[in-house]
Amino acid sequence: MQATSINLSANYKTFGVHVIDSIQWFIRDARHYQILFLSTFLLYGITSLQWDMNPTIMAAAFTSCFITQYLFIVLRMNDLHSLKSAMISSLSLCLMLKTNDPLVMLLAGTLSISGKFLLRWRHPTVGKIGGGWKHFFNPTNFGIITTIVITGNAWISPGQWGSDGLLLFGIGLLGLFVLLKVKRLDIAIAFFTVFCLLTFTRNVAVLGWSADVFFHQFTSGTLLLFTFFMITDPVSTPSHRIARICWAVLVAFLAFYLATYEFINGAPLWALFFLSPLSVLFDKLFLHPKFSWL
Amino acid sequence: MKKLLKDVRTMPASALNETFQRIVNRQYQKAGRRHLTPIFVAWLIAATIIIGASSARAFCGFYVAKADASLFNKTSQVILVREGNRTTITMSSDFEGDAKDFAMVVPVPVVLQRNEIKTVPAQIFTTLDGYSGPRLVEYYDENPCQVIERYEMDQLSGVEEAMPSEAVAKSSADNYHVKIEARYTVDEYDVLLLSADESSGLEKWLVANGYRIPEGAREVLQPYINSGMKFFVVKVNQEELKKKGTTFLSPLQITFNSPKFMLPIRLGMANAKGTQDMIVYAFTPTGRVETTNYRTVKVPTDKNVPEFVQHYFGQFYVDTYRKHRREQGAANVFLEYAWDVSGSVRQFCDPCTGPPPMLQDLITAGVDWVQQYHYGYNGNVFFTRLHVTYDRKSFPQDLQFQETPNKENFQARYIITHPAYGTFDCEEGGRYIKATQQRRTRELQQLALLTGWETSGYGAYISNFNYSPDGPPVYRKATVPAEKKLPQDTINRFVPEKNPGQIDQGAFNVPFNSDSPDDDGNGHAGIWIIPGMVMLLALMFFSGRKKTVAK
Repeated sequence: MQATSINLSANYKTFGVHVIDSIQWFIRDARHYQILFLSTFLLYGITSLQWDMNPTIMAAAFTSCFITQYLFIVLRMNDLHSLKSAMISSLSLCLMLKTNDPLVMLLAGTLSISGKFLLRWRHPTVGKIGGGWKHFFNPTNFGIITTIVITGNAWISPGQWGSDGLLLFGIGLLGLFVLLKVKRLDIAIAFFTVFCLLTFTRNVAVLGWSADVFFHQFTSGTLLLFTFFMITDPVSTPSHRIARICWAVLVAFLAFYLATYEFINGAPLWALFFLSPLSVLFDKLFLHPKFSWL
Repeated sequence: MKKLLKDVRTMPASALNETFQRIVNRQYQKAGRRHLTPIFVAWLIAATIIIGASSARAFCGFYVAKADASLFNKTSQVILVREGNRTTITMSSDFEGDAKDFAMVVPVPVVLQRNEIKTVPAQIFTTLDGYSGPRLVEYYDENPCQVIERYEMDQLSGVEEAMPSEAVAKSSADNYHVKIEARYTVDEYDVLLLSADESSGLEKWLVANGYRIPEGAREVLQPYINSGMKFFVVKVNQEELKKKGTTFLSPLQITFNSPKFMLPIRLGMANAKGTQDMIVYAFTPTGRVETTNYRTVKVPTDKNVPEFVQHYFGQFYVDTYRKHRREQGAANVFLEYAWDVSGSVRQFCDPCTGPPPMLQDLITAGVDWVQQYHYGYNGNVFFTRLHVTYDRKSFPQDLQFQETPNKENFQARYIITHPAYGTFDCEEGGRYIKATQQRRTRELQQLALLTGWETSGYGAYISNFNYSPDGPPVYRKATVPAEKKLPQDTINRFVPEKNPGQIDQGAFNVPFNSDSPDDDGNGHAGIWIIPGMVMLLALMFFSGRKKTVAK
């Protein structure tokens, strides 16, 4: 009788330790947060916002991202941890890129991941702590823009989130968790503030629209998702804080110009695409150890 | 059971004969092409099973009724044609009253040339509305004890149109800092193109020239002036109208080149308190048109509803639309129809509620990139029908659009299924009766879900296959606000097209009040997911921390 109770308590302890261990494992890596949040948004979009998500298209995004990532891992003898990045890329593709053709989504997934492995450069701090490879482009952003340009059969739907205040608050709050973890809040704040200020100046101060027009523009889910989950990717942004802020301000200016004067939909995505390679220059000017996920 | 069988036996056979006359051979269309490669077939199958495939089935049925734009009050209709940076806007006019009181002010991005403004026959709106409106289609069950074949059929339509208005003019522009950029006479209209330095000057000029500008217009005029927009100002030329020998005002069509792909709706809202409905018919060479600053949501489609909906289809659709709008949120644009009408396409509708647009219709609408080819035309054309119910609160910004490469067809379609005729005296017959009763139960549930109608009064519909309703639909008591004043426009808004004798107009006075501001739903029922995740995270974060401290 006594023996049984000891056993039970031992089992209980083991279980408790397991739970705490897995929570610790979860919070150690910011990518876990990203995966959890992005899947939440996707689930919300499909169930509540009635997005047209064809399961075949979604499957194509996941398949192409995972297979490409796996092939490069084998080829480069990297560790399997980076499969998490493939998960993030495929979720982001599902959230942002719209197409009716699974082949187009396959291409987008393949381009996103291979762009990451092929278009990269050796960070100056290599050999030191946190040294290694950095990407020229944000992987998903690269995949989305090149797919739209190459195939002409894919598009971005900036209006798909609507402008529900609570939803946007949710995106912002969850984004905050990730950014605090990867220490990239400065980029989000710099980009968002500058872009907001420019748009406010243009629409309210110069053109004379009432404030609710401005708020309607900013309660856009696509913009917040971009701010908190795309532009802040630590592996394709400058490492030094000053460099990061300057770079984010540049992206905001270009995005504002493209949106206001060239009437381009999804302007922040295009701005990021054009300015991503600049982060190399900023990293050369401002030496700082490269970010590491773990 | 005996009574039921008797009812079924007494159903008129002539109903079937009529349908036989309307047989149209139709190609089944495969909705959504699937490109599969062997690499991920297995993956796909698994994913499809988990998520649930949503492939639309090809249609095989009879079109029986449609809901046209005239069912919604204060409905304006606009045709938008977009190719590259070139936009053609056709505005219909439902102006009623003395033509000399008619006036219209539309902000446009550039000064239009004379050849960029014209009038078009109003018939084009009738054609497009009839072709693209929501549709009710019917299927016939086969008698399990006999072999009866299935067929298909077609039919036609009818409509109306609309747009904003004001008054008359004479010009001494300089004092007001208003510049008349151009002045044209276009059929029965006098057209001015104005540019201005400030809204107060423009407003005074318009008032001095007899245009009744609504209060609150200035706050909207100024931003348009500041962004360099011109004003397309129209009034009726009485002499030209007399020459024409009619009091009916033709739709106006303008064409211009500008990267802006938008519809200015703010000016029309300056003085309007309630909501206004607008139907936008868009043509592009590439694919669907969607709004970029509002969510574009599909209306419910492919729903099985009870047979008697046929008699109330107009009201059915209005209530379905309003309930859907309340659930999804007021600040949305609704997709009612999307179809590839390229010259090379064989199937223009499935089923057709009206004749599809022909070459002449497309050219009238401003689709100038198609050419005649044998009996049809050459060129890619995609047609989109959007429905927007707007007011100042939910739509602070003008509608901005983008053309997407999305060529997926969509239609608002509701299905009724007629039970089979016969004695059902075989073993299969008993099972058929049971299955049909279950189906009819589901149809009633679906009807309540779509429209919010009280369906308990239709209990007899389930077992009586020859059922006809005692009266028109009523609304669920729980959903009718007890002390709310009903807006005028909802009273008697529905005039039944069929079986008028059966309908008690009084009962239509208690509909949903989706137009009142506090009844506009926010939609987004699943929003709880996000706060839930935050709490979960906080929990994880803190439990992780304790462990670290303990170490």
